[in-house]
This record gives sequence, structure tokens and C-alpha cells, in this order.
Amino acid sequence: MTTLVQRAEAPARDATLRTLAGVEARRYARHPLFLIGVALMVLVEVSIANGLASGTGDAQLLLVSDGTTVPAFFLGVLGVFVGYRLTRSMARAGEAVEASPADGVTRTAALCLACLVPGAVAMVWLAWNYVAMAVWPGPYSGAISSTNHAAMLSAGVVYAVGGPLFGVMVGRWTRFPGAGLVASVVLVGWALLSTSGLLMSPSRIGTLVHLNAPFTTWVSSDSPTAASWVAGGSPVWYLVYVTLLCGVGASAAMLHEAWGAQRSRLVRIWAVLVVLALVSLALAAASDPARILLPRG
Amino acid sequence: MTAATTVELTGITKKYRGTTALDAIDLAFQPGITGLLGPNGAGKTTLLRIIATVLSPDAGEVRLLGRTPATPDELAQVRRQLGYQPQEMGFPRAFTGFGFVDYMAVLKEWTARAPRHNEVRRVLDLVDLGEVATKRVRTLSGGQRRRVALAQALLGDPHLMLLDEPTTGVDPEQRVSLRQVLSRAGERSTVLLSTHQTEDVAALCDRVVVLDQGRVRFDGAVQDLVATAAGRVWLADAPDPAARASWRTGTGKHRNVGEVAPSGSERTEPTLEDAYLLLLGDRALTTEVAA
Repeated sequence: MTTLVQRAEAPARDATLRTLAGVEARRYARHPLFLIGVALMVLVEVSIANGLASGTGDAQLLLVSDGTTVPAFFLGVLGVFVGYRLTRSMARAGEAVEASPADGVTRTAALCLACLVPGAVAMVWLAWNYVAMAVWPGPYSGAISSTNHAAMLSAGVVYAVGGPLFGVMVGRWTRFPGAGLVASVVLVGWALLSTSGLLMSPSRIGTLVHLNAPFTTWVSSDSPTAASWVAGGSPVWYLVYVTLLCGVGASAAMLHEAWGAQRSRLVRIWAVLVVLALVSLALAAASDPARILLPRG
Repeated sequence: MTAATTVELTGITKKYRGTTALDAIDLAFQPGITGLLGPNGAGKTTLLRIIATVLSPDAGEVRLLGRTPATPDELAQVRRQLGYQPQEMGFPRAFTGFGFVDYMAVLKEWTARAPRHNEVRRVLDLVDLGEVATKRVRTLSGGQRRRVALAQALLGDPHLMLLDEPTTGVDPEQRVSLRQVLSRAGERSTVLLSTHQTEDVAALCDRVVVLDQGRVRFDGAVQDLVATAAGRVWLADAPDPAARASWRTGTGKHRNVGEVAPSGSERTEPTLEDAYLLLLGDRALTTEVAA
């Protein structure tokens, strides 16, 4: 005799999304590359803490404004791989997954929500930075306004989420093996190219070149012996820009699986986010391009 | 009383780069188990993929469980009552058997943890994988992986089950066990079973559809197909060159399947395989038996 399975009515789509996002978040948190990234990040932060405790100026400089490269690399760039691999891994089960009632948009949205896992780790990193600054106040701390300072540091959290989101998007839109690696190289290459803006004399064009990348560093120096400086532009608008880029990436990823009215809606959302991102970038670059000198010491 | 039709296909056509996989197929299925037979490339998998809503036909109309899955809402409604085991199914490397089926259960909208886990354990037990459920899928044998794939299709006792070669690579003992599971499923659900194993169809199905080159060559009761071979199968001491197929059996006699009785032969009861060979002729020989 057939066993009758007790099951409630089909739950709301939101309930499925929440449950699936939880499953994907656990998969993300257990991914070896993510765990390696977190371990390396902790090592770097311990090293910085040692430098701070011994009063090394470079350690304070890193903490004040350039430390965003730590989550950007260990959580963001490595996260491109993690997001990509998580997305592609279920493609192996292909048609069985596709034939389930949880549609592709829901599945992709769950993956995007799982990208908050590295974001949560980056929040801990952010909190640690504020604690460290309170414990070891450096000579540079007062050079940058607290709002801009907070925006620079917060960008580290956004980088940590944005890299994996980019990986999810690449995983949805490409099928060739190695696409995750190519995506990472493109992202790092874009970030490195944007640093050419820091080599230019202070100008809005230079700021635009510097700030258009989704990962960037704010501190540079004209030479190893010269004073360091913080790049011009608006860190607050840059923070808005990279946050909107996350939305662009997530909506582009979901767009791949969408059809009908849902697709039209997502296209509109994606287009609005792109426009807002470009406006934010323009506002970030339109701010005062003057650099803030940070005397070495 | 006639059971309600769960699958209605009208004029279904599908082409791949000029090759016709399905050619204006008209079929309807009701609860019960239907076997799909046919040589490689006959269109069986394409047909199942279309019914599974993962492939759109180039022409024709599909109605599943009383709905036309043309909108996202209708599609979701159909998929809630659908269990599909594809022909080829890979598994993410890190998943255990339990983890994978649990993931699929979430996709099938089992959101509450406790009932979901109970259901996952139930289907894994049904396919005799309860004891290895915590092992990674990649460490399981091919037959065990097929059973993991079948387990996810059984989640929630769906009204429509589409199984593409579910017993390939499964050992005889497990095959018998799976037949029990499928026969129970066929009591309330529409089960479409695509297979190359004629003995599975003979053992399980009350109806068989034979596809060849994208067309339906036979559609009817299994015994009716078997009956078409009556009087065309003989046992003889030697192979008959004129026979459609001939092979030496374990008793030392040669089984000759053909139109003419070899000299000194004795007539024997046909099987579904004999009938299938006679129906498809040389095409069946080159693609099924020879393979």
C-alpha cells in the first residue's frame, strides 16, 4: 500500500527562499576557499595588531585607511571563486534541479543571500578595526573626517560581499571551466588598472579613473620615502557606488533565469541600479580631488 | 471508471539541428506505470524532458496534471507534483546522499526542517540507502548514485514520476527492490519509465510505448506487444541465418526470432524482448542487442 506523505500546502515563495538561503549560507561557510581566506585574514590582522602594539607607523597607516585590501582580497577575490563554484556545482544535477518548483530566480537569489556570509565576517573585521583604533590611536587618525573614514572602512565589507556576488553572476552566465579564475583576474586587473588614477596629478579625471574599479585602495605614496596621501574623491559616494554594483551583479545573476513578467521587472531593476551606480560614481569623482597628506612617522 | 488523464501530448515535435527527435507525437497517460522502449536516439529522453518541463517542444501542446505550463505560476504548480530522475545526473562533490536529497527537498518547497528530514530519510530508506546516507555521493558506487537520483524523484510521492533509466547499473537484488518501490508508486501516480531493460517493463508496466526515430511504433498493453511475437520464436539446435535474431541460450539450444520456423525447431513462448526485436527489426539489433 502506498505510504501517504503528510505535507502542508505549498509554502510561500519567501519561505522557500529563506530556507534555501540558509542551506546555501551553510555551504558557503563550509567552503574550503572561504575558510582558507578567513584563516589568512586572521593571520594578517594578528600581524597588524602586533605592529600596532609595537608602535609601527605602517601598521597604523594600514589600519586607518588602506586595510580594506585585506577583506577585498581574502574575502572578495577568493569569494569570486566560492560564489562561482557554489553556483556551478548544482549545475551537475542540472535537470533535476531545473524541474523543481523553486525557480531559477529563487535559487539565484538564495545564492546571492549566501554571499552575506563573507559580509558578516567582514563586519567582524570592521568592528576589530574600530576597537584597534580606539586602543592604538595613530597620528593619522585625525587627518581624515570620521565620515569618510567610516566609508573607506565600510567599503571593505561591501568588497567582501561584492566579489562572491560577481562569482555568482559569472557562474550563471558562463559555462566554460575556468570562468571563475578568468573573472577573478579581470576583477584584479580592473582594480590594478584603476590605480593608474593615483599616479595622475590630482584631478577629477584622475579620481574617476581611480574610483571606477569595484575594489580600490585609498592610500598611496609618490615614492617609498615620500609622505603618504589619501586619494581625493568622496569615499561616501564611492561606498554607495560599490554597494549599487553589488545590486547590479545580483540582479544580473537573477536575470539569467528569469522569464516573462519577472524578467521584465528584473531588467528594469537592473537598469535603474546601473544608472544609479553611474550617478554615484560621478558624484564620487566630482568631489574635491585634492589629496590629504599623511606624513610618514 | 477511467482514471483521469495526467499527461496529454498533442502534436509534439522537437528537432535538434535538423534531426527530428520527436515527430508530431500524440500521447496521453493516466495513473499507472508506462514503459518507454526504443533504441538509442528514438526520442525517449527528449519526450521525458519535455514532460519534465525542462525542454520546450518546437510544436505541439503539452498539458500536465490538467494544466498548461506556460506561465511561471502554472509551471510551479506542475513541478510541485513532479518527480524527475534524468538519464544522466551529476552530484556536487561535497554532498552526502542525505545532504543532496535534503537540498532537493528544499527545492521542492519542504521548508520545515523536521518533516523535511523525515521525508528525506523515508525516501532514502525506500531505495535502501539509509545506511550509507552520510557518505559522500562521490564515494558511492554507480548503482548507489542511481538510487540517490531516484530517491530525490520520490520526494513527496509526486503525482507524476518521470524516470529515465532508473535501474541502469543497479544490481539484481536492488533492481527487484526498486521494482517494489515503483509498483507502489504506480498505484496512485503516473509513472513513465524509460529504459532499455525489457524485463523491467515486463515486470512492472501495464502499458508500453515503443518509440523509434521520433515516432510511436507501438502503444498498448505489454501483453499485446508480446502477443505480436507469438508463433515467431523457436528453439533449435543451430542458429537460423534467416532469423531476425539468433543466440545460443544456456541450455545449448539456439533461440531464433524470425518469421520462418527453422528446420527441426520447436516453438516457444515469446518474451517482450522478442516482440521488441521483431517490431523494430534491424534497428533494434544494431542499437540494443549489439550494444
